[in-house]
Amino acid sequence: MNDSERIKIEPIRTVIPDRAIVYIIVTIFAAFFIIFLLYPLLQILKTSFGTEETIFGGGSSGFSLRNYIEYFSKARIRRSLFNSFYVSIITTIVSTTMAFLVAYALTRTTIKGKPFYKAVSSLPLMAPSVVQALALISLFGRNGLITNWVGGKWDIYGPTGIIISEIFYCFPYALIILITTLSAVDTRLNEAAESLGAGPMKVFFKITIPSARFGIFSAAALAFNLTITDFGNPIVIGGDYNVLATEIYMQVEGFQRFDLGATISIILLIPAVLAFTLNNYFTKRNYALISGAARPFLRPSSSSKKAIFSTVSILISASIIFLFWAIFWTSIVDVWGGRSGQSRQVLKWLTTFSTRHYDFSHRGRSISAVWTSLWISMIVAFFGAWLTLIAGYIVEKRNPRGKQILYLVTVLPAAIPGLVLGLGYILAFVKVNWLYYRASIIILNVIVSNFTLGMLSTMTNMKNIDISIDEAATSLGADLPKSFFRIIFPLSRVSFWNNLLFFFERSLVTISAVIFLVSPRIKLASIEIIHLIDDGYLESACGMATIVFVIVIAVHVIFISIFKRRGIRV
Amino acid sequence: MGNDLVLENLTKRFDHIVAVRDMNLEVKESEFVCFLGPSGCGKTTTLRIIAGFEAPTEGFVKYKGEVINDVIPQKRNFGIVFQSYALFPHMTVAENVGFGLKMRKVQKDQIRKRVDELLELVGLIDQKHKHPPELSGGQQQRVALIRSLATNPEILLLDEPLSALDAKIRVTLRAEIKRVQAELGITMIYVTHDQEEALSISDRVIVMNQGFIEQVDKPFEIYKNPKSEFVADFVGTSNFFEGELSGNMVVNKSTGLNFLISPDVVKTHGIKEGKVSISIRPEKVHFLEDIEHNEHIYEKMNIKQGEIEVVTFLGVIVRVLIKVADKHVIVDITEKDFEKHLLRMGDMATLYLPPEDFLIFRR
Repeated sequence: MNDSERIKIEPIRTVIPDRAIVYIIVTIFAAFFIIFLLYPLLQILKTSFGTEETIFGGGSSGFSLRNYIEYFSKARIRRSLFNSFYVSIITTIVSTTMAFLVAYALTRTTIKGKPFYKAVSSLPLMAPSVVQALALISLFGRNGLITNWVGGKWDIYGPTGIIISEIFYCFPYALIILITTLSAVDTRLNEAAESLGAGPMKVFFKITIPSARFGIFSAAALAFNLTITDFGNPIVIGGDYNVLATEIYMQVEGFQRFDLGATISIILLIPAVLAFTLNNYFTKRNYALISGAARPFLRPSSSSKKAIFSTVSILISASIIFLFWAIFWTSIVDVWGGRSGQSRQVLKWLTTFSTRHYDFSHRGRSISAVWTSLWISMIVAFFGAWLTLIAGYIVEKRNPRGKQILYLVTVLPAAIPGLVLGLGYILAFVKVNWLYYRASIIILNVIVSNFTLGMLSTMTNMKNIDISIDEAATSLGADLPKSFFRIIFPLSRVSFWNNLLFFFERSLVTISAVIFLVSPRIKLASIEIIHLIDDGYLESACGMATIVFVIVIAVHVIFISIFKRRGIRV
Repeated sequence: MGNDLVLENLTKRFDHIVAVRDMNLEVKESEFVCFLGPSGCGKTTTLRIIAGFEAPTEGFVKYKGEVINDVIPQKRNFGIVFQSYALFPHMTVAENVGFGLKMRKVQKDQIRKRVDELLELVGLIDQKHKHPPELSGGQQQRVALIRSLATNPEILLLDEPLSALDAKIRVTLRAEIKRVQAELGITMIYVTHDQEEALSISDRVIVMNQGFIEQVDKPFEIYKNPKSEFVADFVGTSNFFEGELSGNMVVNKSTGLNFLISPDVVKTHGIKEGKVSISIRPEKVHFLEDIEHNEHIYEKMNIKQGEIEVVTFLGVIVRVLIKVADKHVIVDITEKDFEKHLLRMGDMATLYLPPEDFLIFRR
C-alpha cells in the first residue's frame, strides 16, 4: 500500500456543479419548445380568432369569431368536417379489423411464413403517405391498369380512393399495437374456456377479443388520428371531396386565407388531440394488462384455422406488394395503362420499358429535390438523435424540477397534426429571414414533430440503465458531461442509432409537416411527388416515389445488417 | 478527532414522509459502524445524505469540522459501494477500477500500477481484462469494493453490498471487507438489514427504526442489553410478554401469565410501575428436567407448563415452540440436551423462565 502514497491524486476540480448544468439544459430545452412548438400553436390560435385575412397585415388586432362563423356558414367548407369523420371512421373500422386478423395470425396461429408477412406489413411505413393513393390511381384511375384491362367505369377519386389509401396507410401502425397486445395476453384463459366446453368461435369472440380490447381501442384511436390528419393521400386522390386537411391547404395556398386555414386547423386539432389522448389512455391500460405475462407455447393450429389465416395474411400482403409493384412498374413503363381504346394490348404496353419518366427536369421538377431531401434528412437525423438522447437522459436520470411539465411538452408534438404545426411555423416565422422558406425551418419542424417518439425510445433505454451507475460515476469524480459521454452514451448506443434511423426515415417520407414549408429555394422529394401528380405526370410521380422508397429501404437494410453483425438486437 | 464525521440534527422529509428524524451521531476516524434496521427505517437515506446524493431538509453533515451539506458528491471523496455493484458493463475490470483515478487526471502508468495493486489485494488480477457481466457475483462485489478504494477515500460508504450474494460467499466477503478496513484504517459506514452481519463486523451498531436511532452501542451490548423493545425484537429472537408492573411482579390478567422479575433488572431499566413489556431470549429458558432438583432455587411463579407444538432442527441448536396459555414460547436448547430429554411434539413440558434473565421495557 506504500505505492499509493507516491501517486499524486489531485482533488476534483469541477467548474460548474451538476445541478447548474441540468438547470441550464432544461432552460434551453424549455426555450426551444416554447419557441418552436408553443409559439407557432399560439399563432394559429391567435390568427383563427383574429380579424386579419393574411399574415402580412401587420398583426391581427381584436378578437372575433368571424372565421369560425364563416367556416360553418359556407356549406362546401363545413362539409369537410363531416367528410373527415366519415372517411376516418370507416378507415378505422376496416384497418383495425384487418390488423387484428393479421396480428392474430402472427401471434396465435402456427401458419408458415410469419417473418415474410411481418416484413411486408411494415413496407408502407417506409414510403411517403401518398404512395397508397399513387398506386390506386395507377391501377384504378381513369387510365389505370385494371380500369383499362377490365373496362371499368368506376371513379377512384373521392372518398373511396381516400378510404382505401388510408386503410393501407394505417394498417402497419395498428398492426404493431395489436401484435404487442395479442402476443402477451395470457392464453391460458383460452385453454380454460376450452376445457369448460367452449368451441373455437366462442373462445374467439368471448375470450380473445375482450382480453385484447385495450389494444384494439388503442389501435383504433391511432388509426383515426392518422387518417384524419393525413394530407398526402387525400390531396392526390380526393378530387372534389374535401377533408379538413386538404381544406386547410387549399385555403392557405389557394386563397391566401391564412385566417381561415388557422381556424380549420383548430377545428382539426380537436378530434386529432382527442384521438391521441384516447390512444395514450388505452395504451397505458393495455400495458398494465399485459406487462409481465410470459409468452406461452403455441398449440399447433387446426388446418382449417391455418387455411383461413394464411389466406387472409397472403391476401393482405399481396395487396401491399401489388401496390408497391404498381408504383414501380408505372415509372418504368413507356405508356402506363396503354392508350385508351387499346385495352387488349395492355400486356404489350406493360412490357415496353422506358426511363423517360425519370427525367424530372423535363417535367418542371428536378432530381435535386432528392439530394435536398437527403442532406436535410441527415441533419434531422443527427440533431434529432442527439437532442432526444440528451433530453431523455436529463428527464429520466437527473430528475430536474419541473420534470412533469417538460415531459408533457415533449409528448405534445405527437398530438399535433404535422399540417397544423407546419402552418403554425409559417405564421410564426414569416418575418424571420434565416428561417422562412429556408432549410432550417424544415429541419426544426421535422425534429419537433417527431420528438416524442424519439424521446420515448430514449427514456425506455434510460430506464434500463441502473440509476446507481450514474451515481457510481458521480461518486468517483465524474461531472455530468463526463458521466454522460463516458458512461451513459456508450450504454445507449442501440437506442441512439435506432433514433438516427427513425428521424432519417421520418424526414424523408414526411409530407404533412412540410407541405407549407417548401419553396422554390428548398424542394423536397416527397412534395415533388405531389406536384408531379398535380401537373399530370403520374409516371414521374411514381418514379420519384420509387426513388425515395428505395433509399429508405436501402438505409434500413444497411442499418439492420450492421446491428446484426455487432450482435445487437434491434 | 479531526477527521470525524458528525451528523447534527439531521432531518430528511420527502413530501409528508419523514425518512430521518433529528439524527445526532458521531463516527470516529477509522471506525467501522453499521446502520442496522428493517426496510424503510431510513438507513439508506442517511447514507445517501452522507454521500451527497440527497440534501438534508434540516441539520448538518460535518466533516473535519466543516459543514459539507453543499459540497457536491464528486468533491467529497467518499467511496461508495452500491447494492447492485453498479459496475460499468462496457468497461473492463481494470478500466472500472481505474475510473476514479482517470477522473482525477492521474498518469496512465500510475493508474495501471495502482489498479494492479488493488486487484492483487482481492485476488482478481487474472480477471483484469474481463467485463463485469462475465464475473460471478462475489467477484463483481470485490471489483466494486476496490474501485471505491482506488482514490484513497477517507470514508467508505457501503449500501447493503452483500445482500445479493448467497450465504457462504457473504461470510467470506464480510471477512475480506473487515480485513481491508483494518489494513487501510479507513472509516467504514455500512448499511444492512442483516443483524448477523452487523453484529459480526462492526465496532458499533446503530439500530434504526422509522427514522429514529433506537440504540448506538457495541455489538455485544446491543444483543445483551437492548434498550428498547424494538431492538430486543429486531436483534436476535425474543419471547415477549405484556403486563402491569407492580413491585417486582408483572401481571397479566387476561392471559394469566404472571412473572417475577429480579429487582436488579427493574432497577437497571429504571421503570417503576405501569404497563410494561418483558422479554427473554430463547436460550435462557430452561426445561425443568435440565436443572437439578433444588426446588427452593426456582421461583414458583416462573414455572410454566405447556404443550410442545413444533420442534425445528436448526443445525447448532434445536428450537422448540411451546404453547403456554395461548402464547407461543420459543426455547433454544442444544442437540445434546434435546436428546437427553426425548422431547416430542405433543408432549407436555415444564419450563422455567429465570427472573434475572428478563429484560423490561416501558410500553
